[in-house]
Amino acid sequence: MFKDILASLFKKNNTQLYPFEKNPTPERFRGNLYYDPSACTGCCLCVKDCPSKAIELVTLDRAAKRFVLKYHMDRCVYCGQCAINCKFKCMGMSNKDWEHAAVDKKEFVVYYGKEEDVKQFLEKLAAPDDAATDK
Amino acid sequence: MNIEQTLQTAEKILAPWNKDTLRPESNRMDMVVQTDELRAATNALHDAHWGYLSAITGLDLGVESGQLEALYHFCSGPVVVSLRVRVPRENTYLPSIADILPPATFFERELSETLGFKIEGLDESDRLFIPDDWPSDVYPLRSDFAVEQAAPVSGSRIDEIPEQGMLTGNTFVIPIGPQHPALKEPGHFQFTVDGEIVTGAKMRLGYAHRGIEKAAESRSWYQNLYLFERVCGICSHTHAMAYCMGVEKLAQVEAPPRAHAIRELVAGLERIHSHLLWLGVAAHEAGFDTLFMYSWRDRETVMNLLEQVTGNRVNYSANVLGGVKCEVGPEQAAKIKEGLDYLETRIRHYLEVVTTDAMFLNRTRGIGTITAAEAEKFGLLGPTARASGLMRDIRIEAPYGAYVRYPVSLVTRTNGDLEARCEVRLEELLVSCFAIRAILDNMPEGPLTARMPRKIPAGETIARVEAPRGELLYFIKSNGGETPARIHVRTPSLCNWVSVLEKAVGRQLADVPMLIAGMDPCFSCNDRVVTVLRTDKKEAWSWKQLREYGIEYYRR
Repeated sequence: MFKDILASLFKKNNTQLYPFEKNPTPERFRGNLYYDPSACTGCCLCVKDCPSKAIELVTLDRAAKRFVLKYHMDRCVYCGQCAINCKFKCMGMSNKDWEHAAVDKKEFVVYYGKEEDVKQFLEKLAAPDDAATDK
Repeated sequence: MNIEQTLQTAEKILAPWNKDTLRPESNRMDMVVQTDELRAATNALHDAHWGYLSAITGLDLGVESGQLEALYHFCSGPVVVSLRVRVPRENTYLPSIADILPPATFFERELSETLGFKIEGLDESDRLFIPDDWPSDVYPLRSDFAVEQAAPVSGSRIDEIPEQGMLTGNTFVIPIGPQHPALKEPGHFQFTVDGEIVTGAKMRLGYAHRGIEKAAESRSWYQNLYLFERVCGICSHTHAMAYCMGVEKLAQVEAPPRAHAIRELVAGLERIHSHLLWLGVAAHEAGFDTLFMYSWRDRETVMNLLEQVTGNRVNYSANVLGGVKCEVGPEQAAKIKEGLDYLETRIRHYLEVVTTDAMFLNRTRGIGTITAAEAEKFGLLGPTARASGLMRDIRIEAPYGAYVRYPVSLVTRTNGDLEARCEVRLEELLVSCFAIRAILDNMPEGPLTARMPRKIPAGETIARVEAPRGELLYFIKSNGGETPARIHVRTPSLCNWVSVLEKAVGRQLADVPMLIAGMDPCFSCNDRVVTVLRTDKKEAWSWKQLREYGIEYYRR
């Protein structure tokens, strides 16, 4: 034990100056969900098995592959079951995007999909009459 | 003795009280017993030294049937014999067996609070894991329970100031917790001390109760996997593994051999991280913070390995129903081996420290000694039992999954003190390292998952797994739907508590933190207990009296 203690005295400082210095995350690390609507068929298996109801899939037009995925980052438990369920590999967990700090909870709700689809969906949501039919 | 013989022995012992025998699985036998004959049947098993009481599961058979059922699971090696007792809903009286088998105290409490069994001689005004402001006569696990019934009731115990302070003469009650009672998890202890010597111990847990068993009934089989993984943050993999094994058994799906091997591998790594964490906590409680810092520094190695293999440091989510998610290829294998090389040298070093360091030995040697007979009586499990010379390890007694192919050897000690518990845990890690290497060198080829149905066939099963703290038991019942009918979890810490309370009596108060740490308790796992031991019901001071006394005392 004493040998250990003495050796530690002459060691370099181990503390990192985060956020200026960062440890690279492992390849398999499960960070935020990503979603690619072009491969999606809208089967909703991901939504069905999500243990924390963190994802909602809105189908605007199934034939034209127009989907919007509403992702609640704050509810997600980062288990990766949705990615396992997806037969078309259209979703996965990123190992790059994992820093979750925000001043407003709203920032934790993310919409994935083609730009015009998300826009259309949000406009629909804003209009109170249509919002009811969406759900 | 093989499974069939063991079962026959039990059948012979229980023959006079047995009303009906069921064989749900090859290693299990269910026997229907009358309420008033339960004690006699338990006594017979106890007198014949057949197995030990592992858990009591309560079931609500539905409003239509008008019955509740209690299952007393007795285990001996791989064999499980369950005594099934049915009681009508109007009269849920059950005789207590806690005087025959002390661990039943905890299980009976649980039955009484969650399902409303009226256990003979149980003080129902005390609560164990249900909050103090929970209404009486509302039982969360009954099938006719509605959330509206659970509205908090004011004016209950919660507003009263707990009894503490001086009782008589030199006798004091020292409250410890709920914040930081030797560990950074919530639990409340009341130690009655006479001078420095503890004369009584009492505890209240349940501060982290989350109602997981109830929540499971409204979630699908797939969603529940992640729910049960979160029963415990330290042994999350063993919980998920036990759940998966149980559900796979019900669905009659066999996970591929490669999946089993990876499950054992992750379980081995988890054991290393859990025991090193424990070593740090124990060292910290003993006042040996250098050892605490170093063991936690080295624990980072295994945490990084777990993160690289599974993708997360805790709640690894390595399991899916029917197999595992994470592949262990040559790249991971090389990293794990490299990490193990370092860990093994460090573990050997710590083993030397805990057996030679004079300061540490003063706090461990000959303290909290539990003899094998006592361990048997208290129903201890895991390393705590093995340190007392009990041969209790599910990985060896009833090998499951890959433990058949990559066995581990049993580590025991006979002195049963805190030192022995340190040694058992550390030596076990060397065994785990060895097993992990064996798996990496002989990994079976093949797929990682087998296909699982969405609906699980109706039936009941019991899955037993050796968690770092001892035997973990899952009782799973399916009605054939997409959600389970009932899942009951009995965690090892629950069985080990009694050793702390019993052993604290007669020791110095300063030994108490070490005793609590010595059994490696996990509060979030077992939040469901309260028990009272030898509490003197002498003249008690009210909070007001005590306060006045205190003010008067310091005025002098």
